Amino acid sequence: MSRPRFRQTFTVLAILLGLAIAPVCRAADSTDAPTLSEIQRELKQLAQDRAREAREFREERKRDRQQIQVLEIKVQQLEQKGTKVQATTQQLENTDKKLQATTLELEQTNVQVKTLTAKVAAPIPAPEFASDFGRYLGSHTFQITGAAGLDFVYDQQSGALDGFHHATQNSFFFNFEPMFLYRPTDWILFEGEFEGSFGQTGTATDIPLADFQITLNDYMTIVLGLFDQPFGDWYENQSPMWVNRFVSAPLPFGVEAVVPPSEIGLQLRGGLQWGELGQDVDYTVWGGNGPNFSEPVPGAALGGPTAIASSQTNGKSIGARVRFYPLPIDSHLGRLELGASTYNGKWMNGNWFNSWGVDFNYFYGNLQTRGEWVQSYRQMGGGLPQDSRQGWYLQAGYFLNGINLPGLPDEVNNYIHRLEPLVRYSGVNQHAVAFEDIKGATGIGVGGLQVGLIPDFGLSGSPALFAPHSREVALGLDYWVAPSIVWQNEFDLELPRAGGVFVSNLGVSTAAGSIPNDHAFLTQFTVGF
Amino acid sequence: MRKLFIAILLAAVTLGSVCRPVSAQTMSKDEKRRLILKGAKLWPVYCNQCHNPRPPGEKAPYEWDQEIMHMRMLGNMPADNARALVEYLKAR
Repeated sequence: MSRPRFRQTFTVLAILLGLAIAPVCRAADSTDAPTLSEIQRELKQLAQDRAREAREFREERKRDRQQIQVLEIKVQQLEQKGTKVQATTQQLENTDKKLQATTLELEQTNVQVKTLTAKVAAPIPAPEFASDFGRYLGSHTFQITGAAGLDFVYDQQSGALDGFHHATQNSFFFNFEPMFLYRPTDWILFEGEFEGSFGQTGTATDIPLADFQITLNDYMTIVLGLFDQPFGDWYENQSPMWVNRFVSAPLPFGVEAVVPPSEIGLQLRGGLQWGELGQDVDYTVWGGNGPNFSEPVPGAALGGPTAIASSQTNGKSIGARVRFYPLPIDSHLGRLELGASTYNGKWMNGNWFNSWGVDFNYFYGNLQTRGEWVQSYRQMGGGLPQDSRQGWYLQAGYFLNGINLPGLPDEVNNYIHRLEPLVRYSGVNQHAVAFEDIKGATGIGVGGLQVGLIPDFGLSGSPALFAPHSREVALGLDYWVAPSIVWQNEFDLELPRAGGVFVSNLGVSTAAGSIPNDHAFLTQFTVGF
Repeated sequence: MRKLFIAILLAAVTLGSVCRPVSAQTMSKDEKRRLILKGAKLWPVYCNQCHNPRPPGEKAPYEWDQEIMHMRMLGNMPADNARALVEYLKAR
């Protein structure tokens, strides 16, 4: 029993007891009156107490209810938290499972990575790599080679040839000769070359090469198409800009060519080693459309088969060349080549053109020498005299890479090592020169269009061009940046000779007079791809 | 003379078509080594005959296949010597 209830019960009992004893005590009212009032007072007190206790009890109950509500809220919150905790726990369990799966995958990946790393780190056998790379490139391969070069020519022509100055120049030129090589199989190769030359007053474009090279076996290759004339060495092997040690071509292979520079037709060629290593012999035989000339007059310039004036031949040509290399490499005597060529054909519906030549080159250490002699005969129609020509050149060069000048610092000697001084003597005996060729080259009378200014091979900056009986000494100094990058410098001296005749396109000849002694300076920076 | 030339050419083509070029891919290790050593001797001689020898590293191996095929034609090199040059230049 709670305390307030006890008090209530006790108070009721006290009142009942008071009522029971009241009669007994009334006799003595006179004397017990204060006691009754006290009792009443106490009862009143008790009633007040009871009211207070009841109020307190209600307040206490109210607090209890509030506390219960608070606790209920807390319980609800706890229950909610518990639900969340359960959800989180479930999520954690799921995550844990996923982590386990991921860890397993990572372990497997790690093993795979280690395996791959080991494979990558292991050196690939060269044949396997070559095979893979070959598959990547494909079986048909292609590349661009060739050359490009910037030239400057200072060619002050003081003398006039029968009223025509021969090409005073003070100009820049740019020459671009990309060559395309396409190899569909290991026995077929196609080569094609485009040539663009840009000068002060004209631009020239040409396709000097376009042919297939078919390797039949170890001793025979067939060439079909448009090719450099395989006569001697110069046209075929020495004409590229970065290969020719000089800026200009030797006189017999410039604008006054003695044999045609190129041909359309076919070749059969090959070589074999007849003795020790280096002792070789090679052959070339070919046939084509034959020679053509700029004019049907003596002294006319020879052109390639793609020249505009190429309709003057109605025959075909045949040619042959043999080259012999007598020195074995192990003899350390150097490399010597001796060659002989011939080229024969018909032009102008039956008139013969015959030519022959010999050539040599010899290399020993830093010394390189080469030379050629070429002779041609052309039968003329209309009672004109035979047009015979002779041409030659002889050149030598010496690399200074073995020379250390005493007293000079290494830096200076390193520059000197890249130098190659050169000298060349060339000439053409040609008693007549065609007017129209000079006009084409100088721009006189053809509107300034210098169509003949830049021939197929070599820059025509020489002072001795289009002169009968021309002679020239060229001094050169090349600075080799790399094996195929060179800065070339050339100083040309024209040697005075007796002169000859000029022939118009109607066949009228006039005396040319003596050749002036002119000079030229040419410089060229060229890169071979 | 023209007929003779054509006859010689036809005979040569017929003969040549019978003999196929040797494939470099069937080469043994010893053969390759022999060619590389031979190519090292020939490189400064054959190339220098016309121009400065160009370093092997200048071009990719497949480009040397093309270049030497072209140079073999221009220089009329003996076939085995041309193969030696290719192997040397590609070995670098």
